[in-house]
Amino acid sequence: MVADRGTPSVDSIRNFCIIAHIDHGKSTLADRLIQSCGAVEDREFRDQILDSMDIERERGITIKSNTVTLLYEAQDGNRYTLNLIDTPGHVDFSHEVRRSLMSCEGALLLVDASQGVEAQTVANLYLALEYDLELVPVINKIDLPSADIERAREEISEDLGLDPYEAVLCSAKQGIGIEDVLEAVVHKLPPPIGDPEAKLQALIFDAQYDPYRGVVMICRVKDGRLRPGQRIRLMHSDKEFEVEEVGQLQLRRVKTDELSAGAVGYVIAGIKTVRDIAIGDTITEARHPAEEPLPGYKEAKPVVFSSIYPMSTDDYEDLTTALDKLALNDAALTYEKDSSVALGFGFRCGFLGLLHLDVVQERLKREYGLSLILSAPSVRYEITLQSGEEIAVDNPTLYPDPSQIQSATEPYIKASIMMPERYIGVVMELCREKRGLNTTFNYLSVGRVELTSELPLAEVLFDFYDKLKTVTQGYGSFDYEMLDYRPTDLVKVDILVNGEPVDALSQLVHRDMSRARALRYCERLEETIPRQQFKIAIQGAIGGQIIARSTINAYRKDVTAKCYGGDITRKRKLLEKQREGKKRMKVVGAVEIPQSAFMAVLTSDTQK
Amino acid sequence: MSDFDGPGLYIHVPFCTHICPYCDFSVLTGDRSWQTRYLQHLSLEIELLTESGWPELVREPPSEAFDTIYFGGGTPSMLPPGNLESILEAVRAKMHVRENAWLFLEANPEDVTLKAATTWRQMGFRTISLGVQSFAEDNLAFLGRQHSPRAARRGLDNALAAGFDTVAMDLIYGIPDQSPRAWQSDLDEALAAGPHHLSCYQLTVHPRTPFGFRQLRGEMMEMDNDDQAELFMLTHRHLAAGGMPGYEVSNFAAGPQHRSLHNQKYWSHSPYLGLGPSAHSFARGRRWWNPRKIKAWMAPLDAGRPPLESVEELGLESLVLESLMLGLRTYDGVDFDNLPGGLGPALWRDNRATIDELVKRGLATVDRSRLRPTLAGLAIADTVARSLDLGGLRNEPT
Repeated sequence: MVADRGTPSVDSIRNFCIIAHIDHGKSTLADRLIQSCGAVEDREFRDQILDSMDIERERGITIKSNTVTLLYEAQDGNRYTLNLIDTPGHVDFSHEVRRSLMSCEGALLLVDASQGVEAQTVANLYLALEYDLELVPVINKIDLPSADIERAREEISEDLGLDPYEAVLCSAKQGIGIEDVLEAVVHKLPPPIGDPEAKLQALIFDAQYDPYRGVVMICRVKDGRLRPGQRIRLMHSDKEFEVEEVGQLQLRRVKTDELSAGAVGYVIAGIKTVRDIAIGDTITEARHPAEEPLPGYKEAKPVVFSSIYPMSTDDYEDLTTALDKLALNDAALTYEKDSSVALGFGFRCGFLGLLHLDVVQERLKREYGLSLILSAPSVRYEITLQSGEEIAVDNPTLYPDPSQIQSATEPYIKASIMMPERYIGVVMELCREKRGLNTTFNYLSVGRVELTSELPLAEVLFDFYDKLKTVTQGYGSFDYEMLDYRPTDLVKVDILVNGEPVDALSQLVHRDMSRARALRYCERLEETIPRQQFKIAIQGAIGGQIIARSTINAYRKDVTAKCYGGDITRKRKLLEKQREGKKRMKVVGAVEIPQSAFMAVLTSDTQK
Repeated sequence: MSDFDGPGLYIHVPFCTHICPYCDFSVLTGDRSWQTRYLQHLSLEIELLTESGWPELVREPPSEAFDTIYFGGGTPSMLPPGNLESILEAVRAKMHVRENAWLFLEANPEDVTLKAATTWRQMGFRTISLGVQSFAEDNLAFLGRQHSPRAARRGLDNALAAGFDTVAMDLIYGIPDQSPRAWQSDLDEALAAGPHHLSCYQLTVHPRTPFGFRQLRGEMMEMDNDDQAELFMLTHRHLAAGGMPGYEVSNFAAGPQHRSLHNQKYWSHSPYLGLGPSAHSFARGRRWWNPRKIKAWMAPLDAGRPPLESVEELGLESLVLESLMLGLRTYDGVDFDNLPGGLGPALWRDNRATIDELVKRGLATVDRSRLRPTLAGLAIADTVARSLDLGGLRNEPT
């Protein structure tokens, strides 16, 4: 690919992103913009180019943001460098959204012509306004029979407070109005402001991992210039590296001589793993450092925790390798060794949210071919001990003796649920069931309601999506943001099989929910543990107090009727196979528990 | 068994007038021409045996004479007596067969006329085993059997009148929805008919049989496990009370002399040779078997080769596992001191805790080096066999 090696003037650069509700066609629009700027040949065009992970393409969501530089010759005859900064569309990754927004001067606000303005659209609008971005509304899917452009305009005006007649009409799918969108980017969004001669300040807003080159930092240069050979310093981590290569991201990396103020591009500096850098950090020149880093640095803190065990203990090494590799380009994933009496060695992992957990699990399965068992997801509780010491506990096995605990708090989220108004009743009831507080709702438009509720994150991890989908018949959308930590009455529920606790099934729950949770686990185990030669008692307990129980009766008949004719081989082979199967079972209190039982109990709604 | 501990011969006769919906044996409903071809090929198979009376693949053939000959099937009673006679002649000509070898014949109840029974008796058959299956009309219909309860009784009377040493009969129980009361009255009818041996098989639904397909389609449900267990217990208790105590999971005899000498060879790793389609053989730590389908069995014979499907070298672990698995199906249980390779004592030590647990749970008793299942243990013999750990044994061919 021929590089345009000259440095574009600041005036010809536009840094923008597309913000939209999930499903409103963001990826499709991005694809069309890329296609019409000729960044990619039609025949190698693959839908949703920016969503490069299989999982993203399958689910039609963007998890990891991608950035692409488009070279556009506008109707005014000038050439423009358009940096399309893709933002992840899911709440788990909102820190990434923020950093992406910080690298832009403007945004296309995408609205589905038939769906109108949705919860996420509003939330993203506020985010965009927070970063002072210029906004151009785009009404997409105008070709659909159900498209109601006038209503969409009305909502843009009323719900978003934007000028509805500024809105560009398009159908990304049909390729209608794409040119208009590009012209709007050029003429309605401002060029960046920056001084190439000032001290270097560049925001790292993303990073990729290249097995040959190491970490590829994606950054936005605010001031100054980035050039190969330059000694750079990362201001927060205070690490220094030497720049090897800089360039633009035109789907492939295209080397340039420099990245100067206003530019968006990549930097390779011989960095081994993404752990060595922090997204949101500021690059400056080692010899003439800037005084202050750019704002935007915030550590991505895991909020959901789960232990991952290999199905077969032989796969532990493979799991270790897989996590190490995965972590190379997923800086938000945390993991440390963990072990369970029932499931052997594994890792306690921290995730940004349930989707992140799901993505990691899927990648481990697909890309590394691992069969896994995940423990029930947990949040991180903050516990004050009698001694006054404060500890954080995200793993039930590390829960201190209750007599030593003075108080505990748990994280709350603010949930935002959008739905047709007929579901208000059932959803309010669901929120109440899930210990929701301050549940309120307001009408977004006729017939559509946004309900907000302050919910303990722990309750959302268990069964919430499933139930929401069920009660709203699939019409409810859910979004959340972290709120704060609030006092909780926490108990540790143990599951005992014939009197022995199964450590991998222990969980921390609110006292009010403990009995129901324990019962559910007992029932699922009862359904999945096969009968054995003795009666099996399954109990849920808080300390010494039994709160739920069920029983599996003994196997009373297990013998082949006919065993002669000399065909003993067949019978023996069957027995050998069963013995092999038995080896893979986990034995607790002399009870053989098949892995399917752990799966049945631990598979939450997020893992289906 | 003392007097009959030589090798046993099994001859599979793969014909039936009708194929029962539960059967997964090698059978066909061929016409007479198939029988002729079968007989020709059987004699080819016998001809291919070496001087010792064993196939070539047996390295050091057992020197003892065969002392049981078992005609099983299928329906051996369908073969005209003349054909049975010539098979026996061919066998005796080629193999070392003991003078007073114990001959077994499986028979369809309708085939057992007094005349036929007398002829078989005169040919030297000492045990006749009748596939009665049930004395209840509806069960016979469900099982696809062609005979009536009356025909079954008549066949038994004829067999008894002909003076066989052992008159045996097969029954099937655990038919969906069969009540304990109904099964018990079936057992009473069987006892009243006066046989010396009973085999009571719990209905097993095998895949790729008509019952198997019915089950797949959800038209048939196997009996609930607890109900199966109840019928199993009932069978053993009721027959013992009726003078026909059990000696194995599915076998009952009016006295030790009526136990199946031939079947006991299978359970104790005595050498045995099988002829005919699907027949299995075992000797010197090897097991081998013929193809199931009659054509696949005939083709190699036409080419002058033995009709082998597979040969298996049994390692010590396999032998021990089989000994345990088969022994735990018998009332006598397993004598660890007699396990192959002298591994019993070590195995006993390794499994001390499991054995104690089995005893504590009332599933087995210990009599010196012998582990003997209780009735409850017998009912879950497969589970018990699985619970023993063979851990340290290396699986090397013996």
